[in-house]
Amino acid sequence: MGEQKPDVLQGTLDLMVLKTLESMGPLHGYGIARRIEQVSGMTLSMNQGTIYPALLRLEQRGWIKGEWGTSESNRRARFYTLSRIGHRKIAEETENWMRIAGTMARFLEETN
Amino acid sequence: MDWMRTLASRVKALFNRRVRDAELDEELRAHIDLAAEENQRKGMSAADARTAALRAFGGVTQTRERYRVQRGLPPIEEILRDARIALRQLRRSPGFALTAILTLALGIGAVTAMFSVVNTVLLKPFAFPDQGRLVVMREVEAQEHDGRIEVPDNYRHIMRLKNTAKTLEDVAIFQTRGLSVSPSGDRPNIVGAQQVSPNFFHVLGVQPALGRDFLPSEAKPGADHEMILSYQGWQSLLQGDPKAIGETVRVSGAAYTVVGVLADGVRFPQIALAPKIAFQEAARNVEIYVPLAPTDYDLSADMGGFNYKSIARLKPGVTLAQANAELEGLQQAYTLSAHLPLHLGMALTPLAKDVTANISGALWMLFAAVGSVLLIACVNLANLQLARAANAERETAVRAALGASGIRLFRFRLTESLVLAIMGGATGAALAVAGVRLLVAIAPKTIPRLDEVHVSLPVLCFAAATSIAAALVFGTLPALRSFRVSPQSALQTNSTRVANTREGRRTRGLLVAGQVACTLTLLVVTTLVLRSFSHLLRQDRGFDTSHVTVAQVDLFSPQYGDSESPSTFKANKLAFADRVLTSLRQLPGVKSASITSAAPLTGETWVDDLQRPDHPVPPAEEIPINVRWIDQDYLRTMQIPLVAGRNITAGDRANPMVALISEQTAREGFTGENPVGKEIGDIVPDAPMGVRIVGVVADARVNGLRDDAAMVYIPYWAFTPWTISFLVRSPQPSEALIPEMRRVIWQTDSKVAIPSIKTLDDQVSESVSSERFQAIVLTSFGAVALLLAGLGVYGVLAYSVSLRRQEFGIRIALGSGKGALMRLVLRQAAVPVVLGTGAGLLMTLLVLRWVRSLLYQTPVADPVAIGGSVALLLAAAAVAAIVPARGAASVDPMRALRMD
Repeated sequence: MGEQKPDVLQGTLDLMVLKTLESMGPLHGYGIARRIEQVSGMTLSMNQGTIYPALLRLEQRGWIKGEWGTSESNRRARFYTLSRIGHRKIAEETENWMRIAGTMARFLEETN
Repeated sequence: MDWMRTLASRVKALFNRRVRDAELDEELRAHIDLAAEENQRKGMSAADARTAALRAFGGVTQTRERYRVQRGLPPIEEILRDARIALRQLRRSPGFALTAILTLALGIGAVTAMFSVVNTVLLKPFAFPDQGRLVVMREVEAQEHDGRIEVPDNYRHIMRLKNTAKTLEDVAIFQTRGLSVSPSGDRPNIVGAQQVSPNFFHVLGVQPALGRDFLPSEAKPGADHEMILSYQGWQSLLQGDPKAIGETVRVSGAAYTVVGVLADGVRFPQIALAPKIAFQEAARNVEIYVPLAPTDYDLSADMGGFNYKSIARLKPGVTLAQANAELEGLQQAYTLSAHLPLHLGMALTPLAKDVTANISGALWMLFAAVGSVLLIACVNLANLQLARAANAERETAVRAALGASGIRLFRFRLTESLVLAIMGGATGAALAVAGVRLLVAIAPKTIPRLDEVHVSLPVLCFAAATSIAAALVFGTLPALRSFRVSPQSALQTNSTRVANTREGRRTRGLLVAGQVACTLTLLVVTTLVLRSFSHLLRQDRGFDTSHVTVAQVDLFSPQYGDSESPSTFKANKLAFADRVLTSLRQLPGVKSASITSAAPLTGETWVDDLQRPDHPVPPAEEIPINVRWIDQDYLRTMQIPLVAGRNITAGDRANPMVALISEQTAREGFTGENPVGKEIGDIVPDAPMGVRIVGVVADARVNGLRDDAAMVYIPYWAFTPWTISFLVRSPQPSEALIPEMRRVIWQTDSKVAIPSIKTLDDQVSESVSSERFQAIVLTSFGAVALLLAGLGVYGVLAYSVSLRRQEFGIRIALGSGKGALMRLVLRQAAVPVVLGTGAGLLMTLLVLRWVRSLLYQTPVADPVAIGGSVALLLAAAAVAAIVPARGAASVDPMRALRMD
């Protein structure tokens, strides 16, 4: 069923989801997946299904909350919202990511 | 923090998984729908839009699986799944499941309930610091006939030892009695009290929680009106008033000041004055402690006043044997140097041992009975499980062939056993709670610390351990077979043939035999105890208890003085008794009313030595007698016949120094002589002259149902003691008579206490309460064991018949008769039952030697008990075997042959 696409780093996807919810407000799983695809300009191609384990992980940590609602086309769907903890975590995670990205960039430059 | 929230969420996800799965499916479907809608809006056809959406999603099934693994706790889910399957399988064989759970519950429930009692009464230590060094001290008198007997302590002797012994750190001396206590002084209650030397609590190593300890100066007459309350006494007398210190409580009419209150956990155990002497007071919990002020007599007498109990604390490092040797030597040296006409010694008993000395034998017997019930239960379960595992062998083989690992199969069988054990254990725990309540309710009040018995945490742990151990034992054995199963062989053969191998049958037969043996032993012991009990109740006791009501009265209040008071006080006691007797005789319907100094069946009291002025013997050879103070109507009220001479008459009042003796006294003290007209010396307190025997009465078991006692009856006109009992014979119902008697007594003096008032029949029944308790408990265990043994025989036989249906079908088809088939099955049952009966008889022989001491005048080689038990057991086994045997005979050959 469907060809395998490269996996996205776990932490990366989590942060993308958080950022998406921060900028867009409550959104269902499909919406989040589409938004990530659009923003990343299709350079990042992933299975949309990958989003669900990430959503579960964030929900289990209490960073996001899922509730049933209705989509613009009147379809029942589960909408995710950032929790208070989630809001707090974004800054932290962003900083973490920047540091890793910076380290990585320096590393690649040095060894080039 | 994150991991804690994650864990909590995962644990929560173990529940209502079906709803969660449905929601996940719905969410994923919504995703695909939304994606397909968007694709359609972009102009794709409905089918293409859907395909594209699915492709973009990746694998729906993989996502769902990943999601579910991450959502819950997979290892636990697997165990729960096993448990669910096990439950479903158990529900499919409800007979097996119910039998197993009930067997387990009965075993565990009985063990836990009994263990709770044993734990509190025998195993749980008292709260005294370093109590291994606390010993009970009793003087020993070497007697010509009876050897060394333990007697209560003499104040002077104990004080000498306290001052000279080098092995003892300290010795406290005390006395337990009921004291009449009341806030106002009117209609007092008798409460348990202990008169103690001021160092008593120091010896025990405890301090009052409120207020202070007694002072050495308070052990003197006049300075001794202080009291320390036990926690219970504080609650019941002063309602736990936090300002209790300094309050006044009236004891025997005199004002006592509360100086201290003990903590809740501090309880001093009941200690018998001497092994043979049991007072009714001893059964009361001690509520108040007052200082013991020795009288001049206590301080000077060497030969009398053996009225006390003592407890000593050994010096650190001193052994019991060392202390015993030193005290024995000191006693003997003193006997010689003071020229005492006695041979005194000393016996030390560790406190914990002394407290349980009288009941531990009986309790351990009950515990052994319960243990064998649990054993029988476990054997039953093992047998059921073995049969079941054999049955499941084919299924196991199929699973193994499909790739299940040995560990996996093993775990499944273990889970099934655990499910059974947990259900049985939970039912058992509930039964235990009910059982403890029942035991405490029917147990005699003389068992010490009974009020502290409840199902406690260690007991629950014990129950859990038993149930889990049982589960493991009977679960692992059959489960281990799953490692050995070779799929090919199991699948090739017919499953039932595998299960019914000779080896399996022999194992199950042996288990049944063992169960039968245990049950038979328990049945014989139970029957013997029941016969002993009925013998105790049925034998001739020498007096008639029906239609007699007895009221105990205590005259411990100032108007009646004490043993030191002038003679006017004696006249007060006499006048009180006279007035009450007169009023009682005037009550409607009263046939006769009488007085006695000790209520019947309350144990030995007022024990003295028989002294004959005409025939003096050394004190060690004098025979012990019980003195009772009675009146002319005593024999008529108790219906004790006169054997020789005459009864006491009203005419003796002017010259009351006369006596009746019982036949036993005549036999032992006047061997070969006519006692009538003889004199007994030094028997009435404060009287210079002795009493003249005017009559001999028949022996009666007035002290206790177990033995006759040597009695001397003297009219109360010669001396009226402070504890008296009024006996009333009347055809009136006791419910009407008892309030009347109480009214008469309190009308005469409202300041006396009535510790008990009840019918003599009730008194009889109370005096054998511990025997009855034993009999009831043993009988119920015997019944449970018999039931379990029946279930065991039935279970194994029914299973074996079900496996051999095909064979029976063939036999019937070949013309075998129903009778022959039934005989075949019954013969199969008979082998283990007969073997077990033989083994049980051997086991019984071993056990009976030990049970003998607990029986009353019942020969252990009682053919009725042994024969009856064997018959009962065989009958139960026959009933259990007949059902499957009939099943075998009624096999329909056509259906049986078509099976498999």
